[in-house]
Amino acid sequence: MTARRRLPRELALYALAGLMLSVWAFPVLWALLTSFKSERDVLAYPPVWWFTPTLAHYREVLTGPSSIVPNLLSSLIVTVATTALTLLFAVPAAYALARLRYPGRRASGFYVLATQMLPPVGLIIPYYLALQRIGALDSYFGLVLIYLTFSLPFAIWLLVTYFEDVPLEMEEAALLDRAGRWGALWHVVLPQVRGGIAVTTVFVFLNAWNEFLFAVVLGGNRVRPVTVAMFNFISVEQTQWAKLAAGAMVAMAPVILIGLLAQRHIVKGLTVGAVKGGGRR
Amino acid sequence: MNAASGAVSLRGVVKRHGATTVLHGVDLDIAAGEFFVLLGPSGSGKTTTLRVLAGLESVSAGQVLMDGVDVTQAEPGERDVAMVFQSYALYPHMTVAQNVGFPLRMVGTPAARVEAAVADAARKVGIDHLLARRPGQLSGGQQQRVALARAIVRQPRLFLLDEPLSNLDAKLRLDTRLELKKLQRALGVTTVYVTHDQEEAMTLADRVAVFMDGRIVQVAAPRALFGRPATASVAGFIGTPPMNLLPAVWRGATVVVDGAGSAAVAAAAPAERPVTLGLRPGDLRLLADEASADRALTARVELVEELGDSRIVDLTVGGHSVKLRSDTAGELHEGATVRLGFEPAAAHLFDRERGGRLN
Repeated sequence: MTARRRLPRELALYALAGLMLSVWAFPVLWALLTSFKSERDVLAYPPVWWFTPTLAHYREVLTGPSSIVPNLLSSLIVTVATTALTLLFAVPAAYALARLRYPGRRASGFYVLATQMLPPVGLIIPYYLALQRIGALDSYFGLVLIYLTFSLPFAIWLLVTYFEDVPLEMEEAALLDRAGRWGALWHVVLPQVRGGIAVTTVFVFLNAWNEFLFAVVLGGNRVRPVTVAMFNFISVEQTQWAKLAAGAMVAMAPVILIGLLAQRHIVKGLTVGAVKGGGRR
Repeated sequence: MNAASGAVSLRGVVKRHGATTVLHGVDLDIAAGEFFVLLGPSGSGKTTTLRVLAGLESVSAGQVLMDGVDVTQAEPGERDVAMVFQSYALYPHMTVAQNVGFPLRMVGTPAARVEAAVADAARKVGIDHLLARRPGQLSGGQQQRVALARAIVRQPRLFLLDEPLSNLDAKLRLDTRLELKKLQRALGVTTVYVTHDQEEAMTLADRVAVFMDGRIVQVAAPRALFGRPATASVAGFIGTPPMNLLPAVWRGATVVVDGAGSAAVAAAAPAERPVTLGLRPGDLRLLADEASADRALTARVELVEELGDSRIVDLTVGGHSVKLRSDTAGELHEGATVRLGFEPAAAHLFDRERGGRLN
């Protein structure tokens, strides 16, 4: 195909991609713009595109009386603890589900997935009562425990496919190479599921960071994640849109950072060509 | 490495997977330094036997002995064996040098010693220029060599090779086969090699164990395996093309093939009995018309396959297909009736029912 004939086609493709991207990015950009607007400009109708930007809302959500910094810290503790514990348990569990043969293997795989099918709202009251009984309402322990109930099955389910893609023979080779079962897992299997672990980390982190429903019901004055704090900008009298937007922008930052960090490790095709004729047996 | 080490024995090894029995009591003695081939069609139990030796497969009954020591319950890593997998099973996230050095690093060998050993092993298999690459950047033949280097780097007492050449193209397979044999001779390490390719088995082995349906049917040196196959099924598996097998009646010192006449054999039957007559394609000759009729079988020429230095003639003898290898350049017409002879000593006679050898 000549360059002249290719050009219109490429332009059309870029236009289509741009259109789709703008639909996806619109709310984010809107929130970004709103966070720099004065309260008057926020409520202007029709919306104003040209305005004098202000950092007042950022100042307020970071250092003002309604600062969300303590809530960010709360979120960080809950999210990091949830992510770390999830991986700690999900990696061995997924490995076991992918490798070991035991009665009920298929059934347990389905059970793991089935826990994801329950609507979270249906669980709020039992969770509330359970945490109340053990005195874990409004505590990091309680919230992390509840987050684990949905992040763990999800992480296991996601990781199993990555473990299954590592050929069994590679592990057997490691056993014969005197690595032992743990050595085989550590030196041979885990490096190959790195991408999967990175993907899982991002998803679990994201879900825990952005979780609202459980946080607002099971949290309280001591444990109040940033999502709940932002919700408090919406009140009966008024909604502080600009502050809400500024808070959202600040809350987004760690997630974006994690995404960028993990992206480096999500290298596809690392195992391609290692074993002739593919791995699955 | 101790030159006298590496003797391996299996005593009555049985392997069951649920209700199916994969190995029905395998007994085997492999001498130190021997190149021993496990040959058989797929599903015959040869790879399971290799995996039992490696410790990757537990046994349902029986014993595995290495240098007289019972290692039946020993972990794979405790047996001092190295294995080359059919898929090579290289570690994709490591460089070639890291792959080859892995078995040494796992037992805490100092880095300098690892490096020297890796360089030495790499040189032996001719991959010293590839040490910095990753497996994904190598050709199939190069990957195969890396797997080989990883096996020889720690000088184990036993090499296990599971169809290591099956993923190479035909030309490379022949070259590698030769190098493998030389390497084994040079290292003197006991080698157990699994293949379904009888030609590979014949060219490489000091001795071959032929597997059929989870049992060893014959253990012999290649020449003996070819010359005196123990059963009709072994006979039909060995040789290119394999031995012709015809139903016949053994009567006195002759065999009678229904619809094709009779021919002399070297041994006389104790009593008349139905047999399977085995004839190697290379032992058959086309006879001139004037040869005596009682020493020849009548055959019909179906097809002539020209190989250049020789030809394979497809014939029908009494309704059964028979192949003949001939290096004479005479004119042969498809559809012609010819007469077929063989030396009386060249006939192999097997029990028609059980397949066991009779002469």
